[in-house]
Amino acid sequence: MSIINYAAKVINFKIVYYGPGLAGKTANLQYVHRCLPDENRGNMISLATGDDRTLFFDFLPVSASTVRGFTTKFQLYTVPGQTRYNMTRKLVLRGVDGVVFVADSQWDRLKENVESLRNLGENLREYRLDLATLPYVIQYNKRDLPEVAPIDYLEYTLNRGARRVPAFEAVAVTGQGVFDTLNTLSRMVLLREFGQVQEGAS
Amino acid sequence: MRHDLVIHETDAARIDAVLERFLGDSGGAAVLLIDRSGEPLAMAGASRTLDTVSIAALAAGAFSSTAALARLLGESEFSVLFHEGAKESLHVSTVDDDAILLAIFDDRTTVGMVRLFAREASQALGAILVEARKRPRRTGVLAAPLTPEEVRSAIRHRPE
Repeated sequence: MSIINYAAKVINFKIVYYGPGLAGKTANLQYVHRCLPDENRGNMISLATGDDRTLFFDFLPVSASTVRGFTTKFQLYTVPGQTRYNMTRKLVLRGVDGVVFVADSQWDRLKENVESLRNLGENLREYRLDLATLPYVIQYNKRDLPEVAPIDYLEYTLNRGARRVPAFEAVAVTGQGVFDTLNTLSRMVLLREFGQVQEGAS
Repeated sequence: MRHDLVIHETDAARIDAVLERFLGDSGGAAVLLIDRSGEPLAMAGASRTLDTVSIAALAAGAFSSTAALARLLGESEFSVLFHEGAKESLHVSTVDDDAILLAIFDDRTTVGMVRLFAREASQALGAILVEARKRPRRTGVLAAPLTPEEVRSAIRHRPE
């Protein structure tokens, strides 16, 4: 849900990193937080369990340059990936403008990816949103690990909706692919809101 | 379901006036109007610097999880959330389906006063937000579509 404030000259967007548990959603935010200059980011908040698993969400506000005099701000959220926390995942999706689906590339995590993607679709439906129209990208994380599925296979399994969305290979802990993912989605979100009006767009 | 919100200068001035009046009437130290998606919409008061962005995200999260708790108990919502601290307390209440009001206050006033005037302020704010939600999003300098080049040059998040 974009919020445009003509008085403060700010446009706010909400981006949610979704995906199965331990896929690297929090690692994405931690890398962005670590590497962005102070003036482009706020404090990072993590609501995590004692063993650092996300319990409710992680939150990191970042800002980009101005466009036509308006500062564009993006509030980055993660969700808890563990299956049992679906209620909180749903709450975090409220007002989302764009989604990064962080997939775990390892062979033995394929099923969890598929289930999480299905769960994302179901939860978005509750807000009358869907992946066919919402700005959405996929990140294949953990490409540095030995037992990972080939990209073609992951694409065939996870990126076969009504439209093929941009996808990125990543190693979130080292930062590989993290900013490519964020920049592409941020641009998609901004273009959807203020680009050329698409016929039939809501 | 999209609830995009456009706050024009006139809306912002009206919202600020309601928030200032609330502080004057209730004796609160600071007040924030927050969208339930977690974004701060306006604030008034507070002599010290508050991290309003983080406060808004956490308050919206707490309020929405409280609402989910209410539904588990068969209630439609708990309309007020109150946290009492040693020096300062928080009062969070419903404005409408998409916004909440967070008041920070200390021992110079009481939760009763805050609650009383929060209700009044919420009604006034709700009326302003209804109008703001009906506005076209693309007006003024944002009326003409952004070009892909404008978008590319605006968004270049990159490591330091």
